[in-house]
Amino acid sequence: MTRHEILDELKKVIAPYTTNKEMLAGIDDQTDLIRDLKINSANLVDIIIDAEAKYDIEIDYDVADKMMIVGSCIDVISEKVNEK
Amino acid sequence: MISTGNDIVSLNAINITRTNDPRFYSKILSTPESKLYNKQVAAVIPFENFVWLLWSIKESAYKYLQRITPDLLFTPVKFEVTQLHLPDAYRFISFNKDQLSSVGFEGLSAFEAIITFGADTLYSRSIIYNELICTVVHTNKDFSNTHWGIKFIEDEEYTNQSSAVREFLIENLQKISGFDKVAFSKDQHNIPVIITGNSKTFPVSLSHHEHFIAYSFQYSSI
Repeated sequence: MTRHEILDELKKVIAPYTTNKEMLAGIDDQTDLIRDLKINSANLVDIIIDAEAKYDIEIDYDVADKMMIVGSCIDVISEKVNEK
Repeated sequence: MISTGNDIVSLNAINITRTNDPRFYSKILSTPESKLYNKQVAAVIPFENFVWLLWSIKESAYKYLQRITPDLLFTPVKFEVTQLHLPDAYRFISFNKDQLSSVGFEGLSAFEAIITFGADTLYSRSIIYNELICTVVHTNKDFSNTHWGIKFIEDEEYTNQSSAVREFLIENLQKISGFDKVAFSKDQHNIPVIITGNSKTFPVSLSHHEHFIAYSFQYSSI
């Protein structure tokens, strides 16, 4: 999967947890899930679990802290998908 | 001045089935922490509330330590709750009020915990109602100058939650401190601070989730 394809799918994963749909449509590598998309931190684990299901990967705890910035999310997912 | 870290979890907003899924809670709890859910704790709170209690403690600790290390990242399992003490005669009751504010936790049924992150050890107090879990973390066991508040709000839209919690904090701070003018701001690391009339600043911690907002700060008039 290309980074662009992962980004498109990631938008669908994030969508249920943000009301800021306008900003979601324009997210890029620098977008912060909490500060920019106003996602409650309590939903960060939901996003990780949903991403695991979407890409059939396992994101372990030592990389989970990178899942706050969109670019880092894509890095983690890309790496895990390529490991399969 | 280092203040406090706080967090609030609306229990109406959590997904109980998902919280009880090991794939979910293993992202929050370490194996030793799972063992803190012993018979005594299980007799008092359901497992999903235990998971969110520990989340709340960890998030509060993260917010506290982020003031010292602004680039700190939040990985829940790296914040370890090493001890959890149940309140005496705890029973589930409804929040059943518009707001609650206090200083310290004397006389309240508070869950007490010790949490470590690397070389840091922090202490927490958590209040649990049927509808919410609210935690405050401090650097020592003395919460006698720790002010905190919880409020129910009708509007759960993020921007309005954010405004409401600032107003709630300022209103109560003015009552406590007698400051004529207080203003909310953020420092260069995006940490919330209060600026008083004499231009002094002190850090505060704010939290909101669904219909609940909460604040905490450290203040002594002496």
